[in-house]
Amino acid sequence: MKGIIVRIIHQMKNDRRTLALMVIAPLMILTLLFFLLSESDYRPLITVDSSVPPQLVDELQRQQADIIVLDSALDWTDDSVQPFAVDQQLLDGDADALLRMDQEGLHIRVLETDGTKLGKITAVLKSALAELNPAAGMSISQVYGSSDDTLFDSLAYVLLGLLSFFFVFIIAGISFVRERDTGTLERLMISPIRRVSVVGGYTIGYGIFTILQSILMIAYSHYVLGLDVVGSIPLSIFVMVLLAFSAVSSGALVSIFANNEFQVMQFIPIVIIPQYFFSGLIAIDTLPYGLGKIAYIMPVFYGCTALKEIMIKGNGLADIWFQLIGLVTINLLLFTLNVFALKKYRQL
Amino acid sequence: MQIEVTTVQKSFGQAVVLQDLSIKAKAGAILGLLGPSGAGKTTLIRLLNGSLRPDHGTIKVEGDAFPNRTAQRQIGYMPQHDAVYLDLSGIDNLLFFGHIYGLKTKYMRRRIGEVLEFVGLQHDATKIVGNYSGGMRKRLSLAIALLHEPAILLLDEPTVGIDPVLRQAIWQHFDELRNQGKTLIVSTHVMDEATRCQDVALLYNGKLIEHDTVPNLLAKTPDGQMESLFFMAKAGELQ
Repeated sequence: MKGIIVRIIHQMKNDRRTLALMVIAPLMILTLLFFLLSESDYRPLITVDSSVPPQLVDELQRQQADIIVLDSALDWTDDSVQPFAVDQQLLDGDADALLRMDQEGLHIRVLETDGTKLGKITAVLKSALAELNPAAGMSISQVYGSSDDTLFDSLAYVLLGLLSFFFVFIIAGISFVRERDTGTLERLMISPIRRVSVVGGYTIGYGIFTILQSILMIAYSHYVLGLDVVGSIPLSIFVMVLLAFSAVSSGALVSIFANNEFQVMQFIPIVIIPQYFFSGLIAIDTLPYGLGKIAYIMPVFYGCTALKEIMIKGNGLADIWFQLIGLVTINLLLFTLNVFALKKYRQL
Repeated sequence: MQIEVTTVQKSFGQAVVLQDLSIKAKAGAILGLLGPSGAGKTTLIRLLNGSLRPDHGTIKVEGDAFPNRTAQRQIGYMPQHDAVYLDLSGIDNLLFFGHIYGLKTKYMRRRIGEVLEFVGLQHDATKIVGNYSGGMRKRLSLAIALLHEPAILLLDEPTVGIDPVLRQAIWQHFDELRNQGKTLIVSTHVMDEATRCQDVALLYNGKLIEHDTVPNLLAKTPDGQMESLFFMAKAGELQ
């Protein structure tokens, strides 16, 4: 087993590009997502027509928004003249939203339902209205996290789990299929080495690099990107490593059903993409036909749920035992399957 | 070590690859497996290295049923494609296979020095194999097969894609190993290589058409050319 571990370390050392794919690439993607999902200093540009009362206009101007006040009236009620003439302003980018008022209340017209922009516009309107009439105000307080958490903060646990799994899966899968392809596996299997040692050596050999990867990913997110980790950082790393071990074993297992590197890639839509949807991006307890139950065979589900408990809710070991048992069970299962699968290559 | 193959049959799905094949190889001799592509040479070698099992028939090494652990340890195998790690240095490849065979550190160091010198790679041992030429990879593959001092050497088309000078050198290595009393089985489809063996087995479409010493085989041909035997088999002239 030691021989295989040492060999994998040497191979990684000699193949810097693979090492970079495993360790540096996730950090680059995390950085990119950090900028994509973070709060920007975006100020909505709202055009207000003459029907809006001056008190509200005054209040809006005190908010984080740029207001253009028209002395004419905007109208988008007459369906017979679609597209509305006033829409041109939105199409040209001269305004992010149009605002008018009648007996039914405030009417807002926007270009499309873009989450970030619309959210900002309604937030501005809500606080302006609350200033005018405190009784209409609404405030949300939350159990976990804080109201100024960005999308990056609230999704980081999903990104960490998914990115790690993805890269480790590809590298381990291709490495194992190459072993078969080049004939080195046949050489291994006619030697006296035990099958358990082959699978164990592989898991630990790549496992060492997944530990490095997990430490770097968590440390980088926390210390450089400023991600708030409420719970224990070492425990988060531990969960990441367990998840990555299952990625090594999954990669090795699919390589048995693949004849070359390209066929390993073909497993990505089957093995990785479904796990994305069960990682916490979508609430699975609302899924119909008990589809949510599929999550219980997915390592990413256990990993990401445990990471959420630790990083967002600040829970400890006592609250993630179920996820840990799930991950350990999947790891043992995959390990056994891999040892069994190697039987195909040996007659003794 | 003596190898005895008796009435072996092997199929993959519907395709019968080896049929009723009996063959013997003895210590201190080179047995050449001669035949065109698809004749079943590689399948026979993979039955002999223990990665396949025959459907019918028996394989015995020194009288014991094969595969068994003792005999399998005595096998050095050089696959048709250089099964070496391209992203490791030559010496790291040897160290890895040494570990896999459980060689003791001191003995392993000595053997690595010996096999590297034997194949003439002692000055390139620390280079990454990905930068080796085709011939160097072949020689490293041979060095790996020899590392644990096996008594039996199974060499699957060891000289394919090798220039004539290196081919000559490799066959000299085989002669040396034969003189050390090892059992060598070498597959080839090059006729003139067959004349360097002591015994030759001619395989054609999964069947053994001839198995004899080289002089006896040549005596059976009308023109002293080994390939005539294949044409004769094809024409159904041979009994």
